Amino acid sequence: MALLEIENLHAAIDGTEILKGINLTLNTGEVHAIMGPNGSGKSTLAKVLAGDEAYEVTQGSIRYNGQDLLDMDPEIRAREGMFLGFQYPVEIPGVSNTYFLKAAVNAIRKHRGQDEMDAMEFLQLIRERAKTVKLEDTLLQRPVNEGFSGGEKKRNEVFQMAVLEPVLAILDETDSGLDIDALRTVAEGVNAMRSAERGFLVITHYQRLLNYIVPDHVHVLLGGKVVKSGGKELAKELEQSGYAMFGEQAA
Amino acid sequence: MNQPVESIAEQKSVYLRDFEHAPARDGEPEWLTALRRRGIEAFERRGFPHSKEESWRKTRLSQVANTHYTVQPAAGEASVLAGYRPAVEAGPCLVFLDGRFDAERSRWAELPAGVTAAPLSELDGAAATAVENHLGTLAPVDEHPFAALNTAFVQDVMVIHAARGSLSETPISVVFASSDSEEQAVYPRLLVVVESGAELRVVEQHVGGGANYLSCPVTELVAADGAILDYYRVQEPGDAARQLGTVSTRAGKDAAVRMHTLAAGGQLSRTDIYADLDGTGADVELNGLYLTEGRQFCDHHTWVSHNTEHTTSRQVFKGVLDGRSETVFDGLVKVAEGAQKTDAQQENRNLLMSKMALAHSNPRLEIYADDVKCSHGSTTGQLDKEALFYLRSRGVGPADAKSMLVFAFANEMLEPIKVSGLHDYERGLLFRRLPGDETVREVV
Ligand SMILES: Nc1ncnc2c1ncn2[C@@H]1O[C@H](COP(=O)(O)OP(=O)(O)O)[C@@H](O)[C@H]1O
Ligand SMILES: [Mg+2]
Repeated sequence: MALLEIENLHAAIDGTEILKGINLTLNTGEVHAIMGPNGSGKSTLAKVLAGDEAYEVTQGSIRYNGQDLLDMDPEIRAREGMFLGFQYPVEIPGVSNTYFLKAAVNAIRKHRGQDEMDAMEFLQLIRERAKTVKLEDTLLQRPVNEGFSGGEKKRNEVFQMAVLEPVLAILDETDSGLDIDALRTVAEGVNAMRSAERGFLVITHYQRLLNYIVPDHVHVLLGGKVVKSGGKELAKELEQSGYAMFGEQAA
Repeated sequence: MNQPVESIAEQKSVYLRDFEHAPARDGEPEWLTALRRRGIEAFERRGFPHSKEESWRKTRLSQVANTHYTVQPAAGEASVLAGYRPAVEAGPCLVFLDGRFDAERSRWAELPAGVTAAPLSELDGAAATAVENHLGTLAPVDEHPFAALNTAFVQDVMVIHAARGSLSETPISVVFASSDSEEQAVYPRLLVVVESGAELRVVEQHVGGGANYLSCPVTELVAADGAILDYYRVQEPGDAARQLGTVSTRAGKDAAVRMHTLAAGGQLSRTDIYADLDGTGADVELNGLYLTEGRQFCDHHTWVSHNTEHTTSRQVFKGVLDGRSETVFDGLVKVAEGAQKTDAQQENRNLLMSKMALAHSNPRLEIYADDVKCSHGSTTGQLDKEALFYLRSRGVGPADAKSMLVFAFANEMLEPIKVSGLHDYERGLLFRRLPGDETVREVV
């Protein structure tokens, strides 16, 4: 079943068109990778999917689980199972990681008609999930991302994903800036969550992440358009020849 | 609205006339009568501040100057005190209504050893002598017209005295309430004297009903050598109230004064805080949080004077502004000649919840010594849009997301509160101002 259907998507920020007609269909259970050079619009696509109001969708449509995604506020998208792992996770001084996640978990449960999680249950859940991504317990009490190293921030994103158990996870350059150990941990976290009920859109600049998270499909994004789609071998091809094979735009 | 000079002159004489026609105060000590006279004379000389006076420019006083606020012959009905619970549950809590001591509404608890807490009207002995020695010595009677009016018209004085070396963790609370009487003037007055080596905690609260009243509270805090004073002030004047007051402190050698204020409510409020660091090693901390909404105007002026070497001061004032409210933070740090090794920090941060809100921030440094460390910073801005989006992208609704961010911003000011009960009380005040539903209360 199609989980995400993007059709002829055009989006602009501050009047500048960044996405120029994107088409992409992702089925439940699949992992798609989006690759592309800096500035090609990868994060723009991710933010548009998550509902960042700074971006204006000027044309096209997005269906998520059969619903019109563009009609939903960001928090509704999240409650309906969408998750964005930010390329640059935001620091929120004064708001503890744990409390923030508790508010998120309970908002999502409420939306689904479930009872709030009790405090003990919740603590158990986050301790267990923190372990799976090797996030130190002390970071749970700290303000969201404040004073976290680059690697800790990325791990915190994957940790949040593990707690929120999304239906569609979009990971925007979660691998950037990670050393090989951290990269492996992050990949293991993602792989552990791969299932027939879940889809992943993994955005990356480098192909090395895809050695660990093996995608079903790879799309090359360039100048706001998908210029090529293929199987996992496309990533290897790109690794060898670079984006230059797509012509001047990539220079 | 600009007032013609004549009308201001007239206003002055109204207060002088009130003074001259005030009922006789039988049994009042001579020194107090003399102090009153000093107050009215200072007011006559000074008058209401002119709209062009630099430090009063932003405080719109025409309404105050045009209304003849009078002291009521007796305390009025106090709807604000019906079912009222003081912020602090432990320790004694003395209640003053319309400036008069209200024994019935006060809560008595055993006073810590060495501590005296009573209205001047019921005081004798060493504490009474301390009042005579200190009352009016710190308040800016000659410069501040509302401190002058208070000094002229004060009804009773709340006195808290901690004897040399006495230590007390139990806070002493005083509540100054204003009744429902329209156009009345109230002159609350507090004197705290912490003798050498003593340690004391004091909570001062201001509450009022919906009437248009003028309150001019004056507080004097004396911290002798080696004394430690934790002073908390919660201002919740009524919606139509004008509150113009002063808090003055003097810190002796190695004395520490830690002040924490929360201002919410009132049509117009201004508090001038004066801190004189007179002894080497003196340390003063001023923390303030102000929460404004609607058309409120809220003004904090601080005047911190480092008068000798090796003194430290830290000021942090934060504001959360909603509606069309307007705030002023104007902070002066003055380092006197020879006050080497002064360490002074000052910070003002304002969070604008509405596009119509306006925050003025004016940190000022006047330094006459060369070996000092002084810093100040000021920021005014709206909620971080990226942070809001981040929270929403995790499923938190926009109102709750805002609440979490505002709470986080303001809560930093509440964290150092050492008096249990007061911390919860102030959180409650803050929660009432948050846009979200219950979520944030449960999770923070
Ligand atoms: N506020 C803005 N106004 C105009 N252009 C912008 C703005 N923000 C980003 N861009 C441009 O959008 C393009 C795509 O950015 P982004 O989606 O972050 O790319 P990627 O994630 O692929 O590196 C870049 O060329 C960037 O310069
Ligand atoms: Mg990017």
